[in-house]
Amino acid sequence: MRLVIDERRCKGCNLCTLVCPYRIFSAGKQPNARGIVVPVLDRPERCANCRLQALYGRTLCGMCQMICPDQAISWVEEKPGEAQKVAIEF
Amino acid sequence: MTYSDWLRVDRLPHIYCAGCGNGTVINCTLNAVDRMGWKKEETVFVSGIGCSSRAPGYIVTDSLHTTHGRALAFATGIKMANPELHVVVFTGDGDLAAIGGNHFIHSCRRNIDLTVVCMNNQIYGMTGGQGSPTTPRGALSTTTPYGSQEPAFDLCELASAAGANFVSRWTSYHVKELTRSIHQGLGVPGFSFIEALVQCPTNYGRRNKFRQVMDQVEYFKTHGILVQKAHRLRDEGLPIPADAILLGDMVRRDRPAMGVKR
Amino acid sequence: MQGNTACAEGALAAGCRFFGGYPITPSTEVAEHMAAKLPRVGGVFIQMEDEIAGIASVIGASWTGARAMTATSGPGFSLMMENIGFAVMTETPCVLVNIQRGGPSTGQPTMSAQADMLQCRFGSHGDYSIIALSPASVQEMFELTVDAFNLADRFRVPVFLMADEIIGHMRERIEIPDSVPREERKILPKGTPPFRADEGMIPGFPQFGKGYGVHVTGLTHDERGYPCATSPSLHEDLVKRLVAKVESARHEIADYRVTNPEAEVVFITYGSPARTVEQVLHDHPDERIGHLRFRVVWPFPEKALDKFPDAKVFLVPEQNLGQIAREIERHTCIPVVPLPRFGGALHTPAELEKAVEAWR
Repeated sequence: MRLVIDERRCKGCNLCTLVCPYRIFSAGKQPNARGIVVPVLDRPERCANCRLQALYGRTLCGMCQMICPDQAISWVEEKPGEAQKVAIEF
Repeated sequence: MTYSDWLRVDRLPHIYCAGCGNGTVINCTLNAVDRMGWKKEETVFVSGIGCSSRAPGYIVTDSLHTTHGRALAFATGIKMANPELHVVVFTGDGDLAAIGGNHFIHSCRRNIDLTVVCMNNQIYGMTGGQGSPTTPRGALSTTTPYGSQEPAFDLCELASAAGANFVSRWTSYHVKELTRSIHQGLGVPGFSFIEALVQCPTNYGRRNKFRQVMDQVEYFKTHGILVQKAHRLRDEGLPIPADAILLGDMVRRDRPAMGVKR
Repeated sequence: MQGNTACAEGALAAGCRFFGGYPITPSTEVAEHMAAKLPRVGGVFIQMEDEIAGIASVIGASWTGARAMTATSGPGFSLMMENIGFAVMTETPCVLVNIQRGGPSTGQPTMSAQADMLQCRFGSHGDYSIIALSPASVQEMFELTVDAFNLADRFRVPVFLMADEIIGHMRERIEIPDSVPREERKILPKGTPPFRADEGMIPGFPQFGKGYGVHVTGLTHDERGYPCATSPSLHEDLVKRLVAKVESARHEIADYRVTNPEAEVVFITYGSPARTVEQVLHDHPDERIGHLRFRVVWPFPEKALDKFPDAKVFLVPEQNLGQIAREIERHTCIPVVPLPRFGGALHTPAELEKAVEAWR
């Protein structure tokens, strides 16, 4: 699974940066085409949901998605055969 | 199903300002409703007027966006006429406690089987930041330019005293707890009242030393104490901080209820 | 049977299964009778905390498909105004009974008046159109209540039964038929936008709980029901349709009684003053005195005035300062003479005879 921010919905409030236990989200710097500074993702493959959602069959942490007032955060299935980045933390 | 299946996606993004806590409360409510396993055609969302009350428009079920303060009276009609429907009411502090105060206490008294989620942003957001019955003493708003002189309502105390079967308070920071409490409230027969304190960066935070969205959410995080802890402090004779926000499930009881599904 | 009881019986016969209201003199007997009878037929009676909540609960119940009504009088009627506008905007069928009493303010709680006739038409803010019926006997309290439910469901508007205290508290013998005509709400075909109107200008009814997923809002909305409060053309089209769906059918809705169409002096009445005019015609049968009695006052059936081609003058006895007389004036070139009589007392036959003599 892949963590994505829907840029059509995000309004750049940065609440996701407050709650993520992995600190994946951080405040962005460049405004997008709508003039909104969307948070940037730092190695999103570390997200527990990306790694384990399929295995457990349910949303795990999900704090960012819940607190996102604009319903902009979701996890999408990778296309079959899409290259996956795997982060291994020791 | 997940909560996102309940969203009317063709209407998103919604009208709320950046950083508004109402969107968070919609997520939590829909998550709780989804967890109940209710069917969409059996669920009705009702609201009055205000920022919070635009929420049902973003939900795919049948929904009624009514007049200012009267959401509970409309919901009473729906629930009494067809108890098979699950009725959830979105309301705000001005809608519920000011213009709709009478309907609020009488719905609690009747203990009618509704779940009410009150998004309390402590201000009239949609009309541009006027003081509401829950604006804290001293807080600035456009109609209290020298600080609010009126004591504020404690909506949970009000609901408890008026007879609601389930009363709970959380904030837009406590998303998991809020979801759990709404889920419990949906399952309780009788009137369930869940107050969610939400940040209003545009009209409240900006005037009250919460310059960033995050500042007010941090405030909720650091000033919230569990109601059980507050009781313990009180029993031990220790002081409870004056600016503490009491959180948690306040009331859970089994008074006779009306309009419960047969 | 008392007029108010007959009204409640009419509602029950019409299939009304929800009553939400608040006690107010002189309409209380409607609520009392509904409270006694509704639970026995599987309906719901609920006494709300005020009239605002009363009409609100009725609108809510109506969206679940129930035929719903409330009953009130002057002060309560004033409180209901905002939600009446909501019912108009959301096209919610509902029936409101107003047993009129003397106003303004608390006025004369136990005395009769017809002073809310313009309020029921124009009382809520914004442009709109509604249907108002006015009974002149206990039998008509029954019949017109049934009609009110059928018109409400057909046109998807609030329908008012504008009775007065005299009719509400009068006791007469009535005939209750075994069954009454019933016109159902048009059903919305699945997949159709819920507020898309056909040439009849009345969209099908997307009942709650049937899987329509309809968003009902008092904001200006498009045919999907989605709010869009800033488009001038959308608002214009919506409001024009809400008015036109009633006004374009006004000759179909019209319901009036004509006596002596060749007359030169013609009384125009609705509600209890009609009974005094009937007394005059009964005491002195005279084909030169005509009588036009409206059973439907709004939308105003102006073609009824053409039934009296020889009329020289319209005399309009009303229990107010001439509210409907003014409306009649708009539609005719001959003199219209209001005969106001209020404070609770009815016109006497002698008074009306004197008014006729003045125009002989």
